[in-house]
Amino acid sequence: MKALAIAGVNLRRMFRDRVGLFFLFVLPFLLVLVLGAAFGGGVTPKLGVVGGDAHLLDALRADRALQVETSADDAALRTAVERGEVSAGLVVTPTEVRLLTRPDQGGQQMRLAVDDVLARESARLAAARFTSTQTGVDQSAALAVVDSVVDAVPPVSVEVTTSGRSAFPGSAGRFDTSASTQLLLFVFLTALTGSAALVETRRLGVSRRMLATPTTSTAIVLGEGLGRVAVALVQGVVIVAGTSLLFGVRWGDPIAAGVLLLVFALVAGGAGMVLGAVFRTEQQVGAAALMLGIGFAALGGSMVPLELFGDTVRTIALVTPHAWANNAFAELARHGGLVDVLPEIGVLAGYAVVLFAFGAWRLHRSLSR
Amino acid sequence: MRHAVLIAAKDLRERARDKSVFLFGLLLPLGLVLVLNLVLGDLSGSSPFRYVVVDDDHGPVAVAFVEHVLPAAEESGAVEVRTAATTDEARRLVADGEVSAAFLLPADLSTDVLSGTAAAIEVVGDVNAPLGTEVARSIAASFTDGLHSTRVAVAAAVRAGSALDPAELARLAAAEPDPRPVVDDPTERRELDTTTYYAAGMVVFFLFFTVQFGITSLLDERHDGTLARLLAAPLRPSSILVGKLLTSVAVGWVSTALLVVGTTLLVGARWGNPLGVALLVAVCVPAATGTVAVVSVLARTAAQASGWQAVVAVTLGSLGGTFFPVAQVGGALAAAAGFSPHQWFLRGLADLSAGEVSAVLPSVAALGGFAVLTIGAALLMTKKAVAL
Repeated sequence: MKALAIAGVNLRRMFRDRVGLFFLFVLPFLLVLVLGAAFGGGVTPKLGVVGGDAHLLDALRADRALQVETSADDAALRTAVERGEVSAGLVVTPTEVRLLTRPDQGGQQMRLAVDDVLARESARLAAARFTSTQTGVDQSAALAVVDSVVDAVPPVSVEVTTSGRSAFPGSAGRFDTSASTQLLLFVFLTALTGSAALVETRRLGVSRRMLATPTTSTAIVLGEGLGRVAVALVQGVVIVAGTSLLFGVRWGDPIAAGVLLLVFALVAGGAGMVLGAVFRTEQQVGAAALMLGIGFAALGGSMVPLELFGDTVRTIALVTPHAWANNAFAELARHGGLVDVLPEIGVLAGYAVVLFAFGAWRLHRSLSR
Repeated sequence: MRHAVLIAAKDLRERARDKSVFLFGLLLPLGLVLVLNLVLGDLSGSSPFRYVVVDDDHGPVAVAFVEHVLPAAEESGAVEVRTAATTDEARRLVADGEVSAAFLLPADLSTDVLSGTAAAIEVVGDVNAPLGTEVARSIAASFTDGLHSTRVAVAAAVRAGSALDPAELARLAAAEPDPRPVVDDPTERRELDTTTYYAAGMVVFFLFFTVQFGITSLLDERHDGTLARLLAAPLRPSSILVGKLLTSVAVGWVSTALLVVGTTLLVGARWGNPLGVALLVAVCVPAATGTVAVVSVLARTAAQASGWQAVVAVTLGSLGGTFFPVAQVGGALAAAAGFSPHQWFLRGLADLSAGEVSAVLPSVAALGGFAVLTIGAALLMTKKAVAL
């Protein structure tokens, strides 16, 4: 009971700290927004276009591997290509198509990607001009004839099929991936930075005074630990609810997502307790928290999706709780249920137990210091 | 001014003994650069798409594709193609993620193409390599488009009333030159590689924390009562503020210079022309100092100041792309990024990576503007800044 009171104090302290509230609740949404805007819906390269007839633009837009952006002039387009704001540029004039690409592999790949559309459009014009010179009908009439016969001619075509299991489900929304990865990054990071409160409690002698009251050290340790978990859990719930309301993020099976969030909050709270017990000053905790919070998030796939890692790094990544949780959320996004993510939940529960045991042991020793 | 320098010199000696300056100014940014480089360094740039081709046809059409079209695509360095004996083997390579896509040329491809019936090349793509699959499709399709277009030209000419024999028309149509050829127009590349990007991002991100060590000591002096003694001395209040600002700028310059050298040596970051980097750092540090100074003048306590400063630094940093590139974001967020000194610093470095030293001037001007505005605002609030 006393443990709950101590945990409650921790929660109240969190809500009194207005700056802390920014990091807890405002920043995660900001980053979900920025990341979703930057990388949402997979990475579809942008193609900047200057000029061009409606037929060509329609054909380019129909290509689902590209995002077409019309640009006002040549110079602006060139700068945009150089800065990587668009992946390649097309300047269309009646007699030629200039393809602006950067001298790197990405640029060459873009070139190959647009080649087909350009070849098809070019073929259409060539066929029209051929018809016009052969029969004497004018160019626009010839174009109409070409467009009318094109579907009747037996095609020479390319049939595309895909194989394998999709890592990014086709139904995923723009913000779905960024929301779950940022959730993990922030819940873990703030649980770690929040452990400065635990150091403060010890440094100001609050914990010593609590020990002087008829309160067992077990109750204090339990209360402080629960406080860390409660902060993580409140933040997680706010992010989940907020992103689904604001950005329409789908978190998948609600029970599985809830259990996952709970065990991850336990892991984060446990890690926070370890930091709070091990370090002596708030500054040390702050530095270590940033380092571990951002480092683990990066390694665990919360900054760049795990799917893009090499095999070795991807295996190493499994050291972090983030990687397991990210895999689990990806599984839920693929319409998995609680049973599908049980292995991940088990591993995370293991992390939580180990961290809590270690944190409790250290905290017991350091409470009276 | 002499007083300001004296105050700054005293503060700097004090900071040199302060472990937390080294922690936040050097160790933390370097540590994170190392971690990020370890994790993300792998991803730098894109690697060539790997494909496999299976020729069950062996006719002239397949030969044209395997011996001309694919090698031409390989020549660009963007793709690598190998051959497989059987369709099953190729499908297995795709399923294992060994290749992004497989080109399957069916047994009667040449016969069908030459006889004018429907024909198709099959592309089997890895579902997790959408761009690689799309590029494979595009390579195959620009080949089949050429074959198809001759058929279309002949059909259209016949429909429009040409009296010539279709075979003769086909010969003529195949010889028709491209009416709108594609001309390659390579551009420069004004972007940092992944390693340098994250190194520069972390350095500028932590700069906004490091410069706090000068200006925030004003709040400590107030708290400890030494500010009152300073004010009792025969010196102008503005000297005190300027002294603190100088301390911040000096700490910022030194730590950034060390980090530039450190990241170059440790992870091989390529910052670019030293003069251009020096110009950018020279103005970025005052811009950071000014921003932090305005926040700390408005704050009442050191704890409040460092909290607000963290909020400002993290917001500007994430808008400015210190955590991940935001080049392709566009829209309102791109406009908002214009208010972030971080973004101008990174953009300056990106421009520098391709151009002359003068390429950094627009960014230097923007950062200079930030510095003048924010430091000017702080100086206008001198009275509040050094009030007891």
